[in-house]
Amino acid sequence: MEQNSTAGGATEQYHGNYLSNPVVTAEPRREEEEEEEEEEEEDDDEMPAERKSKRSWGQVMKELKLFWWNPETHAFMGRSGKSWGLILLFYTIFYSFLAAMFTVCMYALLMTISPYTPTYRDRVVPPGVMISPRVGGFDIAFNASDPKTWAKYAETLNAFLTPYNDVEQERKNVACTPDVYFKQDDTEESAERKACQFKRSSLGNCSGIDDPSFGYAEGKPCILLKMNRIIGYLPGEGTPVTVSCEALKGDVDRFGTSEFHPYDFFNLMYYPYYGKLTHVNYTSPLVAIRFPQVTTETALTVQCKLNGKGIKSDSMQDRFLGRITFTLQIGA
Amino acid sequence: MGKNDSYEVFVEMERDGNGEMGAKIKKKKEKKKERMENMKKEIDIDDHQLSFEELEMKYTTSVTKGMTSTMAAQVLERDGCNELKPPKGTPEYIKFARQLAGGLQCLMWVAAVICFIAFGILMGQGNLTSYDDLYLAIVLIAVVVVTGCFGYYQEFKSTNIIASFKNLVPQQATVFRDGQKFNINANQLVVGDLVEVKGGDRVPADVRIVSAQSFKVDNSSLTGESEPQSRTPEFTHENPLETKNIAFFSTTCLEGVATGIIINTGDRTIIGRIASLASGVGNEKTPIAIEIEHFVDIIAGLAIFFGATFFCVAMTIGYRFLEAMIFFMAIVVAYVPEGLLATVTVCLSLTAKRLARKNCVVKNLEAVETLGSTSVICSDKTGTLTQNRMTVSHLWFDNHIHSADTTEDQSGQSFDQSSETWRALGRVAGLCNRAVFKPGQDAVPIPKRDVVGDASETALLKFTELAFGNIVDYRNRFKKVCELPFNSTNKFQLSVHELEDPLDLRYLLVMKGAPERILERCSTIMIKGQELPLDEQWKEAFQTAYMDLGGLGERVLGFCHLLLNEKEHPRGFGFDVDEMNFTTSGLCFAGLISMIDPPRASVPDAVMKCRTAGIRVIMVTGDHPITAKAIAANVGIITEGSETVEDIALRLRIPVEQVNKRDARACVVNGGQLKDMSSEELDDLLRNHPEMVFARTSPQQKLIIVESCQRLGSIVAVTGDGVNDSPALKKADIGIAMGISGSDAAKNAADMILLDDNFASIVTGVEQGRLIFDNLKKSIAYTLTKNIPELTPYLIYITVSVPLPLGCITILFIELATDIFPSVSLAYEKAESDIMNLKPRNPRKDRLVNESLAAYSYFQIGAIQSFAGFTDYFTCLAQEGWRPLLCVGLRSAWENAYNQEVQDSYGQEWTFAQRLYQEYTCYTVFFVSIEICQISDVLIRKTRRLSLFQQGFFRNKVLLSAIVFQLCLGTFLCYCPGMPNIFNFMPIRVQWWFIPVPYGILIFIYDEIRKLGVRRHPGSWWDKELYY
Repeated sequence: MEQNSTAGGATEQYHGNYLSNPVVTAEPRREEEEEEEEEEEEDDDEMPAERKSKRSWGQVMKELKLFWWNPETHAFMGRSGKSWGLILLFYTIFYSFLAAMFTVCMYALLMTISPYTPTYRDRVVPPGVMISPRVGGFDIAFNASDPKTWAKYAETLNAFLTPYNDVEQERKNVACTPDVYFKQDDTEESAERKACQFKRSSLGNCSGIDDPSFGYAEGKPCILLKMNRIIGYLPGEGTPVTVSCEALKGDVDRFGTSEFHPYDFFNLMYYPYYGKLTHVNYTSPLVAIRFPQVTTETALTVQCKLNGKGIKSDSMQDRFLGRITFTLQIGA
Repeated sequence: MGKNDSYEVFVEMERDGNGEMGAKIKKKKEKKKERMENMKKEIDIDDHQLSFEELEMKYTTSVTKGMTSTMAAQVLERDGCNELKPPKGTPEYIKFARQLAGGLQCLMWVAAVICFIAFGILMGQGNLTSYDDLYLAIVLIAVVVVTGCFGYYQEFKSTNIIASFKNLVPQQATVFRDGQKFNINANQLVVGDLVEVKGGDRVPADVRIVSAQSFKVDNSSLTGESEPQSRTPEFTHENPLETKNIAFFSTTCLEGVATGIIINTGDRTIIGRIASLASGVGNEKTPIAIEIEHFVDIIAGLAIFFGATFFCVAMTIGYRFLEAMIFFMAIVVAYVPEGLLATVTVCLSLTAKRLARKNCVVKNLEAVETLGSTSVICSDKTGTLTQNRMTVSHLWFDNHIHSADTTEDQSGQSFDQSSETWRALGRVAGLCNRAVFKPGQDAVPIPKRDVVGDASETALLKFTELAFGNIVDYRNRFKKVCELPFNSTNKFQLSVHELEDPLDLRYLLVMKGAPERILERCSTIMIKGQELPLDEQWKEAFQTAYMDLGGLGERVLGFCHLLLNEKEHPRGFGFDVDEMNFTTSGLCFAGLISMIDPPRASVPDAVMKCRTAGIRVIMVTGDHPITAKAIAANVGIITEGSETVEDIALRLRIPVEQVNKRDARACVVNGGQLKDMSSEELDDLLRNHPEMVFARTSPQQKLIIVESCQRLGSIVAVTGDGVNDSPALKKADIGIAMGISGSDAAKNAADMILLDDNFASIVTGVEQGRLIFDNLKKSIAYTLTKNIPELTPYLIYITVSVPLPLGCITILFIELATDIFPSVSLAYEKAESDIMNLKPRNPRKDRLVNESLAAYSYFQIGAIQSFAGFTDYFTCLAQEGWRPLLCVGLRSAWENAYNQEVQDSYGQEWTFAQRLYQEYTCYTVFFVSIEICQISDVLIRKTRRLSLFQQGFFRNKVLLSAIVFQLCLGTFLCYCPGMPNIFNFMPIRVQWWFIPVPYGILIFIYDEIRKLGVRRHPGSWWDKELYY
């Protein structure tokens, strides 16, 4: 053992240069490590449980229960009442501030947006096409002899055409000069715009006035074609947009020709549209289509499309852009 | 051979100490060996104690003729081949499947299946509007599979341990059977076979030596001892590992030849047991793996909770089952941080790369972080703390102890070399030395040159070469006449030389050896060049110096010389070393030189750093306690002023038993004592003594020490190089193998390899590990934040029925494309403070993801981002014609694929596809908002406490380029043609990029306020709630 003590002494003497840390720093360090040791001792019994990651369900439930309500610390879900109060207060203030900021942003946004014209029309141009009657999908299937099968179509059409009643149109709307755009840009933006008349009677056989079944009873159904409304849009760039139909599938040889009412084009005078706030009584122009040659016992897929400058009808992504496809299944 | 023993004066001293301590411990408690597991017990073999006759009986063999072939065949049938069997691992496909079945992965599988079902149903109904669901399912599966492959690859790389043992089996062995010599495949050997091993062979099995001629083996792979061990038929020690008559499987024979009886084959050999011990030791889960598991559990739980809640909400509101399932799926997709695993892996591999540049190769990525949380390092001594090179450290002459320069690069101070005595001493050291440099090393610095000769002679050769210059030339000037090499009976070495001066016809006798033996032969002592009579006073001085040097754990040699009398020994005198026909007494004592394997220069600093970093360094070595203690004191493992129980007893002059154990900070335990300790006692020891040195430990004990540390809750790093270390390396939280001296088995078992064998590299590793933990925290905080703005769109969509603000595919783009690079770039962030002055993190308290981190990310920054997204979303809709109030409740009309005339706030009519593109525009706008906010987010995540202005905006160049990358990728996604129909990105108007900017600024300012509060008021409510 004697050697040990001399060893210590010799170390100090000869290897002092290795120990840049003299006794001074050794002292506080001692305390720190003692603390550490105490910690270790405290945690000692937790350790095996921690290492064995699998705990029994009972233990888990016990822990959960304690987490839910710890009767010792009066802590609910790990927080005491005061702690919950503070944190909730903090989040209340935080979210109030955020909500306020959001409101300000929305307010500022709405301030910059005109109520009459949308800021951009990036997606809505060129116009889409829609038909009536549309009950569910784009399939018109009925038996001519069975009114029950087509009553819904007739009703839909009737309802659809109500705003087009001649009386209504004459009362609200003006008769415009055909074949020219009915521009009303000279008045201020908020002023109400006049709308052109589109009389139901002009639809002839498809007006439902003479034939309340809209031709369904005969197996020669009327279909109304409508171009989507777009503010400020001038379809056809001066020449009216025309409509044409063709059979794609089915008994194509029985399709024959198409008959259009009042014309096979959308008159320019109905454009442009000025928005629902100022153009209150605007009624979209319609083109009624009938297929006179089509007889009963026919199944057809028909595509009607718009033709005109600026009209797009061959989009792969949007099958309703400038065209519409529907099926006809006409039984006896 | 015996040479070493004789030089090591401390052997005897140690024995004293040992006896005393051993007795004390025996008195105190009884042996509790049986407590230890069977495998970890010392290996019990008794074959080395048996006589040859008993051996022959036991194995039905003959020590001269070997076994009979028939008997051998029978035994082979019984025992099987002599090879190490790789343990049956889990099949590879199960390992892979396990990677695909983690918590998050399962959620993603469920989501993918829901997508498929939804897609299938929609397709079956024929009203398919888009392939989104199919894409989504495929992307989700791809994410799972890719991360799974990644994980599998990692695991595959790190668990390939046993492979290296296969290479240990020698190809051929020479065996005697039926009295004849055969060469057979070593795997055909059986217990009882008589084998012959010669220099260069690998020992084919555990062999009891029967006959040997200067047979030496290299046991370093087994025990870590690097000196060649001689093996003879004599039984010398009870411990089979220490006895000289057993040679072990896989060790190499360095020289000589021996025959022996095989006593163990295959897995029953010592190495086989260690191998199975290594494979039996479970791989501890790395702390980061535990952290991530913990985190994934929480995330998965929350995702399912949210998903299920909204599923129920949707069902009660009246959505169809399928729709509700899709909501569930979407919420899971939004909530699960898909890119997180990739981010963590990349962050860790970046650090691993950085470490590789600093000579630490990381095999198991997660080990990088483990190193950071390390609280105890169990370090080897030889080669790790020391240079693994005997070096002259002290000289005693002129009645003074002089320190020699022991630094690796000879940059240290040397002693005064002007004394005559030094010249004489140096001359003896230079001449009485048989070691020579290997040729062709002129360019190599002297300390690094290879030498032929034993360790002490090498040390002296290098020392004199440094002091005198060309020692070969020097020796040539003093022509050697005769020489007596060292032997264990004489315990000295002498040589006789002619003098340099051709006119001086005297002979010079130089001698070195065990100091006490040398002193016996001396009658004078040289002091300052004068020969003085060696009286009692000088003898006492010699004793003191000898003890001092011995106490330093150094190997001490004495040197003396004599100019032989010209008359008695004229020129041409026939010196005969066997007869000793010349004067060998009455010599002149020149001095003592002591040698040690000195610590590496960088180690004391590194140990110091470990201390400041709160890491405890424990030395575990096979070396002698005194040497171990000396080196420990030298490098600072035992600090100045710390005493062991024995030191205190000595100082207070009281018996060891009376010393209060708590007063002793340091403790040196040797293997013998450790063997008799129970695990509780060892725990107690480790708890009470912060400075521990374990000496003379066996491989199994190393494992026990590691386990004890782990029981105390420490994260343990272990360094090692031998095969014997592999169980401890595997058991440790992080095993560190030595690159230069390490065996393959150790390298395989380790998680990390130190290429330069330098302890200081570990400290660098610790620093990097801590940094990556901090940075991962930041990275995860960044990654988590965006989950809220990804989730809220669904919540609003379901509850308020607005058009969907953010699509699943867009979410995946955020998770897996744009945000990956920024989150990885946080790994390059510099440390905020001196992380090496902090304690190691407490793995139970300092979690990677804690409550405040989640709360701050989710409910604060995430909330701001959500508001930013919705602001932009409503702006974009309003400017295209859909005012916010109209949007509320619009969902069913908006998503009706038949309705081609949905009116906006202005009366315009929209087709379904037009609305869909508008929805995509919303996705894109929301995406851009998240991106803009995330730029702000990544900036604030640079620091957790410091102000960004203190940390500097531009120091992390990677982060800056990540932001630029993110913006470029975002722009590309938005404006690349074709994107709308493939990934649902639309070219958006430029101003929509700027709408979220105020929120970004808000995030920045708010976080600066938070940090200011945290810095100004540490410990306050603010600090507790908002510091993550």
